[in-house]
Amino acid sequence: MNPEDILKFSLADFGYNDNDQVLDPPADFETWIDDPRVGMAMSFFEQPLEKAPTPRTTLEHRLSGESRQMINLTSYNYLGLSTHPEVVEAAIEALRTYGVGASGAAMLSGTFDQHQKFAAELAEFKDRGGCMLFPSGYAGNLGAIQALLQRGDVLVIDEKCHRSVVDGVKLSGARLATFRHNDAESLDEMLERHDGKRRMVVVEGVYSMDGDLADLPAIAEVCDAHEVALYIDEAHSTLVFGETGRGVAEHFDVESSVGMTFGTLSKSFGGIGGFICADARLIRYMKCYASPFQFSCALPPPVVAAMRKSLEVATRDSTVRDKLWKNVAHFRRNLETMDLDLGESDSQIIPIIVGASGEKLFNLALSAQQRGLYLQPIDFPAVEAHARRFRISVSAQLTEEDIDEACNIIEDVIAGPLKAGELDE
Amino acid sequence: MTSDTSQDLDKTAIVEIIKRNLVENLHDVDADKIEATSSMRDHGANSLDIIEVVSATMRELEIRVPRSELTQVENIDQLADKFLEYL
Repeated sequence: MNPEDILKFSLADFGYNDNDQVLDPPADFETWIDDPRVGMAMSFFEQPLEKAPTPRTTLEHRLSGESRQMINLTSYNYLGLSTHPEVVEAAIEALRTYGVGASGAAMLSGTFDQHQKFAAELAEFKDRGGCMLFPSGYAGNLGAIQALLQRGDVLVIDEKCHRSVVDGVKLSGARLATFRHNDAESLDEMLERHDGKRRMVVVEGVYSMDGDLADLPAIAEVCDAHEVALYIDEAHSTLVFGETGRGVAEHFDVESSVGMTFGTLSKSFGGIGGFICADARLIRYMKCYASPFQFSCALPPPVVAAMRKSLEVATRDSTVRDKLWKNVAHFRRNLETMDLDLGESDSQIIPIIVGASGEKLFNLALSAQQRGLYLQPIDFPAVEAHARRFRISVSAQLTEEDIDEACNIIEDVIAGPLKAGELDE
Repeated sequence: MTSDTSQDLDKTAIVEIIKRNLVENLHDVDADKIEATSSMRDHGANSLDIIEVVSATMRELEIRVPRSELTQVENIDQLADKFLEYL
């Protein structure tokens, strides 16, 4: 690999290993990742948090090893439920009753009363006939799609859908077809192209890297016209959008057009896990064929007990959701004075788009971190190469003072240099 | 294929390799009907197919082109040009 080309490469380039020995990583991957410039960029990943993912936390910097107090804009603990006192207490109480783990797959010995009660509560919350739990969000999307589709079927997805959806279709043997992001016309063309086959459409409620919402009214209309099932991934929108927190489908009043709704327990819920809500007959069928459900240990009972409390806290009234939206509005007002590219966000996820230079992105990230801001850079291939960015996850737990201090740092170390054209090649 | 052979390849030959790999991945496409000015998506390729065609062609040409440089490529002709730069 030519040293001048090192920074042109990314994690998108080394997925194929041409080394004869399976247990040896590709030689050029090692050349690339051992380069100090790449090492600087990689140092942002897997930095250990030493305290809870609250707005004020402590992070161990990977290069220096020193602990730093940080304002946290990266964790997706949107409603602050991960450390909510009632949620923590529910986990402790369940820990004393049930122990740490489920000690079995859900179908055999891993289902506890907590799992059954929580699944029923989630089904009621989402106003669906049934619900099943998965050990992670990734496992939920992957398992649902793998169980529903088979060879000869076509899964039509928005081009910005999560990797778990793509991996699910690979495992199912069905054909993948993508439509242009949020473009109902493109979806219509793709459904026409695959007319006559069993098809399903997947979109996300809120897109995780852009914070924009699915254009559900238009997408649902196309799906209804083609009589094709619509599956919505509400990972980032459950408990955040809609009058009762059911998500973006509720927000747009199109729930009757959605055949299956997916959510995670790791974002607003503040824990870990995934769930699917749908018709009870379909859930009964999928429990028998979704591999991650059948072949993983069930969620730990203390986590499930905590997630039940999260659901209760987030839905007994709109207090935490209202606080989140107040913070989003305050954050946006501050950011909009800085002449930044904030993309098309309409949610609690707000990108700051830096542009095509990864080097610039990571230099800005370093400055932010040195000033005490935990704001992770998002590089290609997670986002388009011309739109590398930072991604702010607004939390209900932030105070106005936290937001103002964070915005002062953003203005000094990100907006200022970007406006002045500093770091430009 | 040796690197000597790679260096001798011209653009027409590279376009043919891309077409062959596209046909191998899509099964229901006729190589004679693929125009260099068309995109792989025009023939029904999805993002996974395109990754595979690009990877297979690069392996055959013994080159590694940064994927970040391929994001603006719109058709097979432009892809062949990009590969030529790295031969």
